[in-house]
Amino acid sequence: MQQSAQVPVAEYRQRIEKLQAAMKELGFGAVVLEPGPAMMYLTGVRWGKSERTFAVVLPAKGEPVWVLPGFEEGRARELIHVGDDIRVWQEDESPYQRIVEGLRDRGVASGRVAIDDNARFFVFNGVRKLAPKLEYKGAAPVLKLGGASGR
Amino acid sequence: MFHLNRRAFLGASTFGLASLAAQESVPDAIKSLHPMTAGVQPIADDERRSRIDKARRLMRQNKLDAVVMEGGSSLFYFTGTRWTGGDRLFVWALPAAGEPAWIVPQPDQARAHDAIHMGSDVRVWKDGGEPYQTLAQFLKERGATSIGIEERARFAVFEGLGAAAPSLTFASADPVTIGCRVIKSAAEIALMQHANDVTIACYKAVLGTLREGMTNADVSANIAAGYRALGYRGDALVIFGKYTAFPHGSIQPQKLREGDVVLIDDGCNVEGYQSDITRTTVFGKPTARQRQVWDLERKAQDAALAAAQVGAACESVDAAARKVIVDAGFGPGYKLPGLPHRTGHGIGLDGHEWTNLVRGNKTPLQPGMCFSDEPTIAIPGEFGIRLEDCMHVTENGARMFTAQSPAIDQPFG
Repeated sequence: MQQSAQVPVAEYRQRIEKLQAAMKELGFGAVVLEPGPAMMYLTGVRWGKSERTFAVVLPAKGEPVWVLPGFEEGRARELIHVGDDIRVWQEDESPYQRIVEGLRDRGVASGRVAIDDNARFFVFNGVRKLAPKLEYKGAAPVLKLGGASGR
Repeated sequence: MFHLNRRAFLGASTFGLASLAAQESVPDAIKSLHPMTAGVQPIADDERRSRIDKARRLMRQNKLDAVVMEGGSSLFYFTGTRWTGGDRLFVWALPAAGEPAWIVPQPDQARAHDAIHMGSDVRVWKDGGEPYQTLAQFLKERGATSIGIEERARFAVFEGLGAAAPSLTFASADPVTIGCRVIKSAAEIALMQHANDVTIACYKAVLGTLREGMTNADVSANIAAGYRALGYRGDALVIFGKYTAFPHGSIQPQKLREGDVVLIDDGCNVEGYQSDITRTTVFGKPTARQRQVWDLERKAQDAALAAAQVGAACESVDAAARKVIVDAGFGPGYKLPGLPHRTGHGIGLDGHEWTNLVRGNKTPLQPGMCFSDEPTIAIPGEFGIRLEDCMHVTENGARMFTAQSPAIDQPFG
């Protein structure tokens, strides 16, 4: 379960940089991922999907933003080694608000955002309602160009 | 409080190995459990048809012309079809008027034929074909333009359908799917009762076999073995000692020692309906502090149960449990040491489903709603205590599926 033991942090950073280059090439301001193979490949974090949103915003410029449930912060910090901008949401707060704030703080207030194709509709829909002006596209092409799919 | 995702997570890593290694050393008390599979009544097709009728009423009320769902608990709820696996589009679309249709990938046609037993409009798409055009064509035939997407459908489905039919508008299907699922029928409650009974039988056997030096993975493996002996599949999160203050545990290895708090949490399913039970006890003699916090936890659980009356707002049930804990000097709010999460979640075909006992949720309780009641008290550096039983709301208040734990050294009532 020490999932990041075999891959040094520097390598995750290189993978993210490669993805950032792909974002710039394809015109994306950020990639938003739920837990899954892409999050695992890019950050080493493996997390079970539940109804409580746990996501990472990987901006084209700047550090990742982690959004996760407040009471899971302790367990999550055991796993997160790339980036320390961790934004928790409490049980009566909106995780989508945190995601949108993360995007905005990385300069993504307009333009295109890539969404994990396997993200569940409720996560996307929550973000879309708060940031209706962003243009949302599936992340598959940018992940592919960035070498972060097919693992 | 804790379900499938975590189960899969553990299954894929150390737990799977531990499970294999521990099989030979499963205690006799667990191996000798008898199957509890007799007398289970699956949901009848008539009940599923009445769910579809209700869904259509809710669609009209919410101005949705159709709802679209992938494989998952909502699909199973309405159709009895289980479907997993693959990126290829497999969906069921239910229009407010007219027959529903299945969109099925050609390579999966035979499997789909076996899995589908409600409805005969099955539209097969070939590899290299256009599944979303097939779906869009069906929606067009039904005159559907306002489409509800089931909450757990993938973003790819939304994007693919939107690209195939740009004039469609999309909203959440939640008012329809949740509107149906949140109220349980007598048949559903009976299945949940059975799942709860199985879990208690399993936990009783397993907690009787704790030994110094066992790892938490050993105990998880024994729980999985217990479920197998009982005729079901399941396992549990097991946490020892100070790590019980993390509601969902820690990746740190844990070996059982005298005086450790022991927390086990999760459940099994019967015909898809979930149980979710937590017991917290001490291996050895509890300290005065452990006993005091445990007793407070039980009072908080009782307060939520008492508050769960028809017409009460969901948030008032959370407030009742939280008040007990905060009045004793913990918290306030979600602050640690204290109760870091909501008091409970809905439960049914998903271990966690709508609606929640949480601040801000003004939904009034109605007969047939089912919730967990689990106001954890977490004290970082020391331990955490969680008692979790599930309850169903009746006209005369909420009723637990299981006898609550009476004392720290008596996990079962």
